[in-house]
Amino acid sequence: MKTDHDHTKALEVKNVVKYFHDPSTFQVLKGVSFDVQKGEFLSIIGKSGSGKSTLLYVLSTMDTDYEGTLSVNGHLLTGQAQNTLSTFRNEHIGFVFQFHYLLPEFTALENVMLPAKKLGRFSLEEIEHNAYESLRLLDLEDQAMKSANKLSGGQQQRVAIARALINSPSVIMGDEPTGNLDSKNSLAVQDIFRNLAHEFGQTIICVTHDNDFARNTDRTIEMADGLIV
Amino acid sequence: MRRKRKNNVNKQIASVHLTSKKWQTAVAILGVTFGVSMYIFMNSFMNGVNKAQDDLAFSNLAHIRIDNESEKRDYNPVSDKFPASTLFNIRDKKDIQSENDIKNTTEVMSVLKKQSEISNITAQLNFSVFFRSGSKKINGSISGVDVENENRMFGSASKVITGKWDDLNFQKSGLIIGKTLAENLGLKLNDNVNILTSDGISKNFSVIGIIETSVKEIDRSRAYININTARQVLGKNFDYSSDILVNLYDRNKTDQIVANTKSAIKYKMETWQEANQQLLAASQLRNIIAIAVSFAILLVAGFGIYNIMNMTINEKIREIAILKAMGFAGKDILNIFLTQASIIGLLGGATGLILGVGISSLVNRVPFKVAGLTTLPINYHTIDFMSAIVFGILTTIIAGYLPARKASKIDPVLIIRG
Ligand SMILES: Nc1ncnc2c1ncn2[C@@H]1O[C@H](COP(=O)(O)OP(=O)(O)OP(=O)(O)O)[C@@H](O)[C@H]1O
Ligand SMILES: [Mg+2]
Repeated sequence: MKTDHDHTKALEVKNVVKYFHDPSTFQVLKGVSFDVQKGEFLSIIGKSGSGKSTLLYVLSTMDTDYEGTLSVNGHLLTGQAQNTLSTFRNEHIGFVFQFHYLLPEFTALENVMLPAKKLGRFSLEEIEHNAYESLRLLDLEDQAMKSANKLSGGQQQRVAIARALINSPSVIMGDEPTGNLDSKNSLAVQDIFRNLAHEFGQTIICVTHDNDFARNTDRTIEMADGLIV
Repeated sequence: MRRKRKNNVNKQIASVHLTSKKWQTAVAILGVTFGVSMYIFMNSFMNGVNKAQDDLAFSNLAHIRIDNESEKRDYNPVSDKFPASTLFNIRDKKDIQSENDIKNTTEVMSVLKKQSEISNITAQLNFSVFFRSGSKKINGSISGVDVENENRMFGSASKVITGKWDDLNFQKSGLIIGKTLAENLGLKLNDNVNILTSDGISKNFSVIGIIETSVKEIDRSRAYININTARQVLGKNFDYSSDILVNLYDRNKTDQIVANTKSAIKYKMETWQEANQQLLAASQLRNIIAIAVSFAILLVAGFGIYNIMNMTINEKIREIAILKAMGFAGKDILNIFLTQASIIGLLGGATGLILGVGISSLVNRVPFKVAGLTTLPINYHTIDFMSAIVFGILTTIIAGYLPARKASKIDPVLIIRG
């Protein structure tokens, strides 16, 4: 599935169109096209309801019900089977949801470790070590053994970010990943992201309403009414 | 290596699910426990009842009984001696109806002994008599028996409450008498009793034993003597008997034996199935009831598990979506929930076995003193334990599979988008 595209491109989005059919058929994405370079820190802004989250779900490979094409690291992902996509996601894409979803019965540490255990590339000890490192990066090492449902909203959001980092994915996507954070923590997360992009070549795509955040990124694209302006 | 780690994480998630909602897991396990234990108890109890019934029945019923009654009542001696075309006229047919007994016992027995399925053969010479003691006169029957083989077939020696069964071998005029019959005649050990046959033959015997079987009718009317003495009393030779009784190693093979020997044995052969159709029917009906009840129980248990698994999956729908978003595939989700169901099945099955044996052995201690029983009968069969486990786990897995499949098909975006 390797395509002969430019190898410096992390993401190629071509003419993505998406409809919702409930309650009535309505076009959310009206032909979105853009590229993201490897190691680029990109932000997406736009009015509420303009289709940012919808676009991000398409980019994350979870939503397959769209027209147009999506390639990540030169792999054409449009039309792939669900199982192929979930394996791909596990290895290459880290995702921070708009509403930070953790598994409430697991500790913060276990939540961070799960994607790595699923990937199975490292031993349990290495995974635990890496998970601790991720948590430390987000100033959460003292919360590691708390179960997720006993953490504050901001702490949960940071655990979700730590979880998105654990497999060192080539692309990290966040849907308002700092929405619940105070400015100090928000800045810390932005620093982490910029560092990952510039030092480790990981590609970061974040939807945000925070103009300071957007200014802090390499490039900002704006959405309005299902289109990039 | 990589694959193994993947499986571990699914198992780990399953075990967190099971342990974080302990009461729910416990209720699901208890459902299986109850189903499996009831299955074991019902079947062991029915087996016990069937076995008790059989023991009772076969304490005086042979697997095959050969005699010369009824079937050959229209036996016509003329056709034996003259060609079939001979015209004849029989007057007063009653006079020639005395061909009721087996005259070639040794020959019949040697035919039977060639059958490898046969475990035991014994001959009897039974006839009706009046027992007379003092002024009392009671109608009953004498059974002339082959002392050793009769005991081997029916365990007669263990039923003799006074005296010794084997003494029939040594005391030619000795008689072992039914307990109630002895009481009614006012007889004790070593007393004398007179018998009178229908042909008017009278003979004195001395009581060398008293027997108590589990059948009241026998205790009230029968006495046993040595078959040789019986032949002497009736003036018959050594080859003469009224019944030949046959036992098999496997009593379900009676039809086969009858088919094999029918051509060589001219007498009527009656299998225990024919003689006791109600016995067969009763035990089959009990088995059907046991199976129906146990399946109903397992079905209810399965439905309970289905509900609990469904509930769990509805509660965890967000978490399933998150797992999928993180890269867990549909088959991982299926694996997680099937693991949960299997653990519930295994734990429920194991505790069900223990509880089933517990209930059964308690019931086995309940006094029940009827017809030779002392407590309610229980009989364990390995097959019941195995099928209880198999059905228990199968029910759980099927009941868990349907919700698990639903979970594996969840579309994460639909849930996460809200
Ligand atoms: N499941 C759905 N079914 C139908 N319409 C939907 C669904 N999800 C979103 N929409 C609609 O699609 C449009 C885009 O929604 P989306 O969530 O992408 O907006 P957004 O840009 O992320 O907004 P916000 O900044 O508030 O998160 C909205 O008009 C929304 O009402
Ligand atoms: Mg949104």
